[in-house]
Amino acid sequence: MKFVILFLLLFHLLVLGTTAQSRKVFPYNYTIDDLPNGLRLVVVPTDYPNLVALYTVVQAGSRNEVEKGKSGYAHFFEHLMFRGSENYPPGMFDKVMQKAGASSNAYTSDDRTVYHATFAKEDLEAILKMDADRFQHLKYTEDQFKTEAGAVLGEYNKNFSNPFTKLEEVMRETAYKTHTYSHTTLGYEADIRDFPNQYAYSWEFYNRFYRPEYTTIVVVGQVKQADVLAMVKKYFSDWKRGDYTARIPSEPAQDKPRTAHIDWASPTLPLVTVSYRSPAYSDTKKDKAALDLLSIIAFGENSDIYQKLVLEEQKVDFVAAGSEDHVDPELFAVYSRVKKQEDVDYVRDEILKTYKHYTEVLIPQKKLDETRMRLRYGFAMAMNSNDAIASAIAPYINLRRTPETANKLFDLIENLTPADIRDAARQYFTENNQTIVTLSYKKQGGGE
Amino acid sequence: MKSATAFILTLIFLLPAFAMETPLEKQTPLATVFKPSRSPLISFRIQFLTGSVDDPKGKEGLAALTAAIISQGGTKHKSYDEIVEAFYPMATSFSAQTDKEMTTFVGNTHVDNLDKYYALVREMMFEPGFRDEDFKRLREDALNYLKTTLRNNNDEELGKERLYNLIYAGHPYESNTTGRVSSLEKLTIADVRAFYAKHYTQASVVLGLSGNFTPKFEAAFLADFQKLPMGKKIARRIPAPSSTPGTKIDIVERETGSTAISLGFPLGANRKSPDYPALALVASYFGQHRSSSSYLYGKIREKRGLNYGDYAYVEYFPSGMYQFEPDPNLARSQQIFQIWIRPVEPQNAHFALRAALFEFDKLVRDGLSKQDFEATRDFLSKYVNILTQTQSSELGYALDSRYYGMGDYNTYMKAALAKLTLADVNRAIKKYLGSKPMTIVMVTKDAEGLRSEITSGKTSPIKYQAAPSQEILDEDKIIQDYKINVKPADVTITPVERVFQ
Repeated sequence: MKFVILFLLLFHLLVLGTTAQSRKVFPYNYTIDDLPNGLRLVVVPTDYPNLVALYTVVQAGSRNEVEKGKSGYAHFFEHLMFRGSENYPPGMFDKVMQKAGASSNAYTSDDRTVYHATFAKEDLEAILKMDADRFQHLKYTEDQFKTEAGAVLGEYNKNFSNPFTKLEEVMRETAYKTHTYSHTTLGYEADIRDFPNQYAYSWEFYNRFYRPEYTTIVVVGQVKQADVLAMVKKYFSDWKRGDYTARIPSEPAQDKPRTAHIDWASPTLPLVTVSYRSPAYSDTKKDKAALDLLSIIAFGENSDIYQKLVLEEQKVDFVAAGSEDHVDPELFAVYSRVKKQEDVDYVRDEILKTYKHYTEVLIPQKKLDETRMRLRYGFAMAMNSNDAIASAIAPYINLRRTPETANKLFDLIENLTPADIRDAARQYFTENNQTIVTLSYKKQGGGE
Repeated sequence: MKSATAFILTLIFLLPAFAMETPLEKQTPLATVFKPSRSPLISFRIQFLTGSVDDPKGKEGLAALTAAIISQGGTKHKSYDEIVEAFYPMATSFSAQTDKEMTTFVGNTHVDNLDKYYALVREMMFEPGFRDEDFKRLREDALNYLKTTLRNNNDEELGKERLYNLIYAGHPYESNTTGRVSSLEKLTIADVRAFYAKHYTQASVVLGLSGNFTPKFEAAFLADFQKLPMGKKIARRIPAPSSTPGTKIDIVERETGSTAISLGFPLGANRKSPDYPALALVASYFGQHRSSSSYLYGKIREKRGLNYGDYAYVEYFPSGMYQFEPDPNLARSQQIFQIWIRPVEPQNAHFALRAALFEFDKLVRDGLSKQDFEATRDFLSKYVNILTQTQSSELGYALDSRYYGMGDYNTYMKAALAKLTLADVNRAIKKYLGSKPMTIVMVTKDAEGLRSEITSGKTSPIKYQAAPSQEILDEDKIIQDYKINVKPADVTITPVERVFQ
């Protein structure tokens, strides 16, 4: 029945405290099949009826954009994947998706590009067949390519009325000097405006990364693994393995704190972000998991700084930490929007004090236990449809090509101690690792 | 272009506002939408049939602020921080969504935490603290939302909300649900208390609950809400907005790099209208939200590369840039037909507007082809399952069906679509979309420049990075000179700081 698995999952949560070995945060009986060409298929049978979710995860994102002037290319390429293929001329893709009643789209991040669709389950084969064609036989003319470049510029334009987009851009280029995390996934405006001149490069990008060894297909729904595998074999077996590996420059150690400031031309509340270099994703080493917990404890809605700055003093309208799981060492960043310009330095210093505090004290055991419980409940309760399940595991599929890594991560979290968290904070929240970026309104041609 | 008949038709809808209040004198059963199931997740949707239409004049934003203080403020016994602390290990929350005619509190919890969770909800609902510190913080949040987030950080939502303000000028829907800057500045905690006392009543509440709850819980839940004041049953009739004939263009001026465009007009139909399935099909064909299969998207984005997307709506859909499916519980008596052209490069703004109007006029003139009708009908018949794929959204749609007085949404839509004919759809297009007074909002930096381009009616050719097909180039020749029937006096410029004031 539809709810049995969810029930088992949540039941597991409750006995967690005592049986550390057996509980799995991802409770579904999934299967993994590898084709000889390197393509991986993950099938997650569920009892949610009618619909099936199909997520195709390509292990290439803006991290893979190693050449100068090519920022934003992975995301641009995501757009090109909707422009037609050998056997599905432009417009046909939409017709097939429409026939399936699909909600279909894609997204790109630093480390991955994910094509996702949720649709009537009887249409799975038709959609896999079409996907196989675009992943193996993509086809677009130079004119179509240039037209799509205009749509990407439109996407850039819509995002750039929000100052957070600029804040993120400057924070990255300040914190990173050689690694490709120095640019955002959307890319620099100058590079985006140059896209129309890069038709030949687009095929190079396709030939490098749109290869079976970079790709995992995830299917979630009321399906049988054998049926899905047969379809995938039928349509994807001829896909040729590639031979390219991107050489991502490693980032040298930071040797002193860095700062930057942005003058914003339209009225806005000041923004401040304080970040530190932090570790890459790991399901075996404790440091990243420890900082993930700390991000909630130190800067979440229930944290002391939130209570002080948002609720009591009311000097900011929000403060929050962001630290996603990344393939390479990333940034642990705290963001805040300040209500008055004169409080910016104070808020920055409060954030700095909070970071320092957790390098010195041990988190109470009760808080740690509650945070672990919160993470597990949060993960479990979010998986409330086929689409939500696929969406929840797509980042893990990208990192390790298996949902099992989520289980391993949560086991690791279960074993963290307050000392582990303090030690991770001590190791990473050092002055030399620090980047502070602020943004405030400055009328063009002088003024405020 | 726009005929006098249309003007007269619009006037027919101009009825005075109507709200009849009947005191609830004796205990009557509370309105409920209970959907018991085996799910260990319990979903709550506690709805009050009150919203910004009940904001007293000069106190716009009061309904939304009241709901915010209940869901993001302390109680008589606990500070807000203590509430957050209690929700923390359960990984849950209790949030509020206020719209014109309804306010809905939404929460989900695991059944094993149900007692603990509901104890908090009950305290928040029945013993709100109305604390000064919460009031101050949440009123400031509302002000910053209008002054910073909407006016200056999101041109698309700014354009859409401004469009609603203009179409509903002088109407109970006029103000943004969050309020106005000038009214929020004057609100007091006493206003909030009074609003709560008057509108959070047995007469206005609708209790939505789904999941594996026990009969005992259900009885206790009902008994709690029977302690609310009786209140008055309000039979509302929200009139259609008044409008004068002709196109109106408002250019919102702000420091920005691109031009956002939203346009629309009162629809004259909502979900309970027999023509709703036909109109939903038209919107889906012409501009299905975030879908590349729709007509307008194909013309403006895919074939011309002018922007990121182009969509059409027959129901209110806020925050469309952040989500693929609309949130339930934004049901309204009055809806507009809306076209959303995502930001374009400023030099293409005039052309993009002409293209949108050209395609819209073509839709009204030609209707759908049999092939397009069938493809869209088949799509929607399956797509309705996506709208209700989670337990909470299913419950939300059930509450909306109750509001509109119709059956289960999915069942209704599938049956109605199966019966629908091409003739029904094309008749609905003529009836609801034909010759309507269009209101257009554009957000851009050089407002005066754009205004003079539009009022001069001069040709607006477009330069492409890459030549599109000959068919598109031929069409461009028509579009670049397509007449926008607007009087110069009806093209206004509004500095952004005056919007939502």
